[in-house]
Amino acid sequence: MIVAEQKPVEEIRQVISPYEKVLLLGCGTCMTVCGAGGEQDVSFLHSALRLALTRGGGGSHSFLEYTVKRQCDFEFLDLIKDKVKEVDAILSLGCGIGVQVVAERFPDILVLPGINTSFMGMAKEWGVWDERCAACGDCRLAETAGICPITRCTKGMLNGPCAGTKNGKCEANKEMDCAWVLIYKRLERLQQLDKIRRYYPPRNFRVIPRPRRIVKKAEITTGGNNA
Amino acid sequence: MDNKVKNYRTSQTKKTRSWRTLIPPCQVACPLHMEIGEYVDLVAQGKVMEALQVIREGNPFPSICAYVCTHPCEDACRRSQVDKPIAIRALKRFAVEFGGDRAQLLEAETTQSEKVAVVGSGPAGLACAYYLRKLGYPVTIFEAYSEPGGMLRVGIPQYRLPRHVVDTEVQRLIQMGVEIKTNTRVISLDLLFDMGYKAIFLTVGAHQSLRMGIEGEDSPGVIDGATFLREVNLGLKPSLGERVGVVGGGNVAIDAARATVRLGSKKVSILYRRSRAEMPASPSEIEQALEEGVEIMFLVAPMKVKRADGRLDVTCVKMELGEPDAGGRRRPVPIPGSEFTIEFDTLITAIGQAPQLSEDFRLRIGRGSTIQVDPVTLTTNRLGVFAGGDAVTGPATVTQALASGRQAAFRIDDYLRHRYPRVEREAEPALLGELSARTIEMIRKVERLEPPLVPPEARTKEFTTVELIYDWESAVNEARRCLRCGMGAEILFQDKCATCLTCLRVCSYHVPYLDGGGNIQIPAEQCLACGICVAECPARAIILRKPYDRRHIDEELEHALKSATESKSKPLIIGFCCQYGLFGTGTLAGLWRESKAGIWIVPVFCVAKLEEGHVLQAFEMGAEGVFIAGCGEQCSRENTAFWVLQRVEKVKKVLSQVGLEPERLQTFNLRTVEMDVAEALDNFTEQIGRLCLASVIKQEVKS
Repeated sequence: MIVAEQKPVEEIRQVISPYEKVLLLGCGTCMTVCGAGGEQDVSFLHSALRLALTRGGGGSHSFLEYTVKRQCDFEFLDLIKDKVKEVDAILSLGCGIGVQVVAERFPDILVLPGINTSFMGMAKEWGVWDERCAACGDCRLAETAGICPITRCTKGMLNGPCAGTKNGKCEANKEMDCAWVLIYKRLERLQQLDKIRRYYPPRNFRVIPRPRRIVKKAEITTGGNNA
Repeated sequence: MDNKVKNYRTSQTKKTRSWRTLIPPCQVACPLHMEIGEYVDLVAQGKVMEALQVIREGNPFPSICAYVCTHPCEDACRRSQVDKPIAIRALKRFAVEFGGDRAQLLEAETTQSEKVAVVGSGPAGLACAYYLRKLGYPVTIFEAYSEPGGMLRVGIPQYRLPRHVVDTEVQRLIQMGVEIKTNTRVISLDLLFDMGYKAIFLTVGAHQSLRMGIEGEDSPGVIDGATFLREVNLGLKPSLGERVGVVGGGNVAIDAARATVRLGSKKVSILYRRSRAEMPASPSEIEQALEEGVEIMFLVAPMKVKRADGRLDVTCVKMELGEPDAGGRRRPVPIPGSEFTIEFDTLITAIGQAPQLSEDFRLRIGRGSTIQVDPVTLTTNRLGVFAGGDAVTGPATVTQALASGRQAAFRIDDYLRHRYPRVEREAEPALLGELSARTIEMIRKVERLEPPLVPPEARTKEFTTVELIYDWESAVNEARRCLRCGMGAEILFQDKCATCLTCLRVCSYHVPYLDGGGNIQIPAEQCLACGICVAECPARAIILRKPYDRRHIDEELEHALKSATESKSKPLIIGFCCQYGLFGTGTLAGLWRESKAGIWIVPVFCVAKLEEGHVLQAFEMGAEGVFIAGCGEQCSRENTAFWVLQRVEKVKKVLSQVGLEPERLQTFNLRTVEMDVAEALDNFTEQIGRLCLASVIKQEVKS
């Protein structure tokens, strides 16, 4: 799941200041789950912005709030096309993907981000989220006992641990587990310690040209039309 | 808020306007199906008048029930799975007394021409007359004894039901236009029809004591319980002697024994052939009888009575319990050779009662000499004759009789209006199922508060009421123990639910769970309606079945802000206070400031239901300061303070971002030893005053 956090009210206020009527657009999927842009967060931001307005006294704004099921699909956005006509700008509380898809779907209206998309991760407990994946496109978790050193090691080392590990914690942050100690312990538990004795050559970052695209659809050249 | 946004918001919540509560077990168990959860909750909120109104809607004679109801609701109460059931009857008594039930006047207009005769003025007859009068029929009650009330008057001793309570209700019926003819025994139903009555409700009660069928039962000195109680209740003082025996284990036996104590007998013994567990009398009555010095001899049955020298020699036999009988109680079996003799001056037999009906009524009689009726329509084998109360069921409770009287009134109405009987159907589904062990474990045990009793030494002297009334604080705190069954959280918008698992993680009682299909379920029978998941759900997919959540706070806040802006008092401070805590902790008086102080209290049903948006809205509408006052340790739900503080931190962050001092938001604990709430509030007001002044100066300097 994508994890994000809401931008400070002050910053949001500044980006929306030129626009009179703003649609606060939430997203009902990842942003709801990580508590950054679900219906409740939209409503909270709405209240906060209205309070900021009464305090700041600058200009008149009005807001609409709405939460779509998922901002990263055109079909869901089609449902709000009438609402969009009424407003001067959209403040998207979707992740970076959501903001861009909304912009692509409604090319004639400005879309502003209300959220800083942070990482892909999991909820550790209520109110705590941890990063787990860097979307490197070249998954090596089979070799590292299901623990990703790219994201969970501060240095992203492929051959660890480094000399900065101490009592199983990382030198960069004493609260944080050393990913490579975790990998070692788990391999030990799975009786696959031989895997840690291997050397993994550096990955070639150039093999990943951006933006990436996955085509699952097979290219059908003939006979596609029962011809 | 501009109009568009507002309309948009309401259109989004429109679906949730109606209540979706499930009927709690107490209401199902009540013969009258009173909205018990509703009035208990209103008592907890300190709204006694409203509670009484709810009680009156479901019960024609609440003050009578408040004294004598056998409260099947308390037996059904799910709190007993945790500790002890809610003291529902005592709370009703509190609401009836403090709400001023006796001062209420009732009126009814005659809109129908068909006269109805009610034979018998017991609870069933009175209730039937009450509802028929409300439906507009002219009603006449015929009563054989000198005073109306039936068993309420001649069966139940005064210390349990003071006579003035019955008098008030009877007076009210007369005020409504019911005609009551006392000292009038109905000997023929045909005669009543000849007199012009179009329908008859027969509710003659069960006044005839059953015979024990033993030798010497008719000796002088042996008296039956019903006759004895009738004589005592009508003001006679039979001379009983020093030693009195009472045979039986039901409420009549206990009543007779306790009345005997009050008449001055030194030694009163109850002989019961089974053990205490099988005794049909209500446990609290048994307890009170024992306190008053009544001796109960279990597993003893009389065999023979012999009168000699002005005393009775009662030969008894000891019993043991054998196989369970058809009713499920273990059958007592005599132990051969265990006979013994006790001496009594008087023996009262109270082993059961049956109706006594004239042959001339030409009614079909069933088991135990009761009248046979259709259980739904209460019709007998004769056209236009309906029957109910003890005469149909055999000896039962007052509340059952009231229910049967009410049913009869509606069925008689159907009959006279030539309608197919409109049988009441439950509109709402009932709450089923037990609390799970996991949930019970998390519910804090809170001791049941009983209303005070007159000490045994004082009460055995006379026939005054034994049970006193709660004081305000105990009543509120007893009512707060209610688990609010059936009004818990519900995922109203399944399509909105993102299955984020927030509800599952924040619930203090482990109620929400993931079903096999990976969907969140919130089982209604477990939820205690604390409202934390409702406020925390990021998708706003959850609501409470009764709008005690943000919908209620929205309304209250808007109302308070409106009056606040009208009054223009400064500095404006909004206080979100727990409605239960205001009364339950007795701090309401301490928080009360005259309106010129500018403090406006927004009552919430537990501060855990308060959301960040409400606090921000208060500031937006011009509040200089906001405080949140919860009940701390005394809260009837778990972890509420933690969630309040979480939200307070979130709001404080926003406050500092928009240039407001975070100190403008504060939390109080309504119940602490360390802090005087009134003093803390004064300090807070002062602080807000200073902050206001500072911000004014700052602006001056700027300009």
